[in-house]
Amino acid sequence: MIKIVKRDQPSKAIFFFTPVLAIFLTLIAGGIIFYILGFKPFEALKFFFIVPIADKYGFSELLLKATPLCLIAIGLSFCFKSNNWNIGAEGQLTFGAIVSGGVALLFYDQEGFYILPIVILAGAIGGIIYASIPAILKTYFNTNEILVSLMLVYVSKLILDYLVVGPWSNPEGFNFPETRQFSDSARLPLLFEGLRIHAGIFLALAAVIISWFVFYKTYLGFQMKVSGFSLKTAKYAGYKGKKMIILVFLISGACAGLAGVGEITGPIGQLHREVSPDYGFTAIIVAFLGRLHPVGIIFASLVVAITYLGAETAQIFMQIPKYTGQVFQGMILFFLLASDYLLFFKFKFIGSKK
Amino acid sequence: MNTNLKISNVTKIYPGCVANDDVSLEFNSGKIYALLGENGAGKSTLVKILSGVVIPDEGKIYLNKNILKLNSPSDAKKNDIGMVFQHFNLFETLSVFENLIIDSDEQRENLKEKIDTIMKKYNFSVDLDVPVLNLSAGQKQKVEIIRCLIRNPKVLIMDEPTSVLTEQETSELFLSLKKFSEEGILIIYITHKLKEVMQLCDEVAVMRRGKLVSVSQINNENIESLANKMVGQNLKTIKKTKEKTSSDQLIKITNLNYTSEDPFETNLVDINFSLNRGECLGIAGISGNGQSELFQVLSGEIISNKNSIEFNKNFIGDLNPQERREYLMAFSPEDRLEQAAIPQMAIFENVALNNFKSSNFFNNGLINESKIKEHSKKIISEFNVNTDNIDLKSQFLSGGNLQKLIIGRELITSPDLLICFNPTWGLDVGAINYIHETLIKINEQNKSIILISTDTDELLKLSDKITVIHRGKLSKIMNAEDVTSEKLGILMGGGN
Repeated sequence: MIKIVKRDQPSKAIFFFTPVLAIFLTLIAGGIIFYILGFKPFEALKFFFIVPIADKYGFSELLLKATPLCLIAIGLSFCFKSNNWNIGAEGQLTFGAIVSGGVALLFYDQEGFYILPIVILAGAIGGIIYASIPAILKTYFNTNEILVSLMLVYVSKLILDYLVVGPWSNPEGFNFPETRQFSDSARLPLLFEGLRIHAGIFLALAAVIISWFVFYKTYLGFQMKVSGFSLKTAKYAGYKGKKMIILVFLISGACAGLAGVGEITGPIGQLHREVSPDYGFTAIIVAFLGRLHPVGIIFASLVVAITYLGAETAQIFMQIPKYTGQVFQGMILFFLLASDYLLFFKFKFIGSKK
Repeated sequence: MNTNLKISNVTKIYPGCVANDDVSLEFNSGKIYALLGENGAGKSTLVKILSGVVIPDEGKIYLNKNILKLNSPSDAKKNDIGMVFQHFNLFETLSVFENLIIDSDEQRENLKEKIDTIMKKYNFSVDLDVPVLNLSAGQKQKVEIIRCLIRNPKVLIMDEPTSVLTEQETSELFLSLKKFSEEGILIIYITHKLKEVMQLCDEVAVMRRGKLVSVSQINNENIESLANKMVGQNLKTIKKTKEKTSSDQLIKITNLNYTSEDPFETNLVDINFSLNRGECLGIAGISGNGQSELFQVLSGEIISNKNSIEFNKNFIGDLNPQERREYLMAFSPEDRLEQAAIPQMAIFENVALNNFKSSNFFNNGLINESKIKEHSKKIISEFNVNTDNIDLKSQFLSGGNLQKLIIGRELITSPDLLICFNPTWGLDVGAINYIHETLIKINEQNKSIILISTDTDELLKLSDKITVIHRGKLSKIMNAEDVTSEKLGILMGGGN
């Protein structure tokens, strides 16, 4: 007979094992879904997870997609570790892209080494401004940050839409909903000839290192940690709990804004309607799959990035609808949450007593 | 028809605490029963068992001689047991009527008629179409009561019903309850307010630390006798040896007021006292009379007027806890697991919560882990914390060891004043003795203590001066030698 018993303490090994288990279960469930849809499960999974990254170009694409996911998830981990549920990273990304894109357009006919840093900074500031709205409303007016940050996503997308169709649209662009091309000085340099991977990956790596340092080595990080566990304790210790809340929002906004910069100043080089294929939402999954730990987030961003690539490959080669990618992302989160049950409970095998 | 409710040998054990220890009680309709006890005495658990929220480990409940199986709140409802909780369970944005119809099986029209009859009968006036959020606390409570009455209950349990009511609303409530009782509803009234028990109830059962201490007719009791039963009367003769009284004033509180926006908190009214070096001021009182608010105001978690607190000739009323620590104050809050320490963090990280500029735990914004660890080891050895692993998460320390760690963390910096709130709550005798000895020792080193406690024995043992807090007001400050537990009992119940 199998009995479910509560664990005395959450197991550390299980803590890092459940994400792996979740991915494994996702593959099995994915295979079953492919089978039901009438595809050969193994072949479909191969096109989904192996073919896309089998060559140099594919690997570059993987890093390209993982970069914004990693960057945003790092920022979100600050929020989530301190129990602030910012789910509007997509909006912060979009607004960061709008601000940095606007700045880049100011310099569209100029060249100069100083342009790119200004454009990057503008993106971070855009994200910060946009994240400060739910943060301030939460701390001073007791609004729910989940609702506010989520609704602001749609606001930012409509603003972007208006700008690229209206005032910022390319005068020589035949009314396509896009802006002028940025000047080369406003663009993140590509790392290799013929591949799309760009210098934005260094921003993501820097964010990983800085976040690890801040969270585990600094007084600021210590205060965030304490405030996240218990605001009562933070108050008792004399920390400024409200400021900590605002700060984590701003950090996460800055990271999302930078991801937005990467999206528009990288391979594309202009603002257009679809700045991000929901990176801001998918990064929530990445953050949790990576256990809110900087190193975990790197791995998680690579895993989830594959689902983006795999969806495209599978559509091209097997006519499997592209949206299966989102199904996989959903399944990963689902199985992760389900297997987290094992953190607190364990199965005990006991012989039947007679 | 008569209703008889019998609780027979009920025991409920939570990890680390016996919430109900072999409790047996019998109630008959026509009377109002008080269930009296301090926070944590076990009355809430007993009530939760009666309302099906908690299932007892042992024991049975009988209604009119039939065994009741209460596995869920709906079982209690089915068996005509109605319950009004301290915190209301109403949907704020729905109208009163919508709230009432949600868990009713009746037709709209029937229900409306029934509600009208109830309101007329008991003289309730609540507008049914108004959203609940526009109602006063008293009216919300009436909605809860109506919700119970719709089901024609045999038993009505009221959990601390007056904590959010005004005086006027309280007396209205009492009138209604007496009327219900006359109509044959058995009423069980849970409270820690002694005056209300005397005013309202016919019989009173007192609980302390999970056990039923006494059951008696209200005519045989008075406020003092009940207070003594609630807090425990076994006075110990051990008292601090009083050596010398200094006249060197350390802290002075002048006209300190605090008005809370939260209706479940107590307002502090005109707090005035002063304390000399080497003295211990005990603040007695039944819990929920403003102790928690007073602690927070003194520690700086609630900031007040700059001039209202003078410490060591500095005005510090507007400083936060960390800034007050720099002036050599130390604090040990009541709640060990949710406030004084973070169970999920390591021992040494918890030590870093009490941070001074001079302690060098954090240099230039960086964590100085070796310094913190060194300091933690010192605390562990000096204060007998029973572990040698400072990387251990503090949730694995026993209550006594955790409290030693917290007191040690606060005292190792040798502060001039320690403010502690129920420092021995829930500890075993060994740990209690250790904490008491430590507190006596720091008085001997000419340091001062403000001891807020609900344990009268502890206060009489450790204090030089004693005052009582009642409804956010302090009584006059007395010398501990002139105080008896009877006198404290009167003051705690709001008498003179």
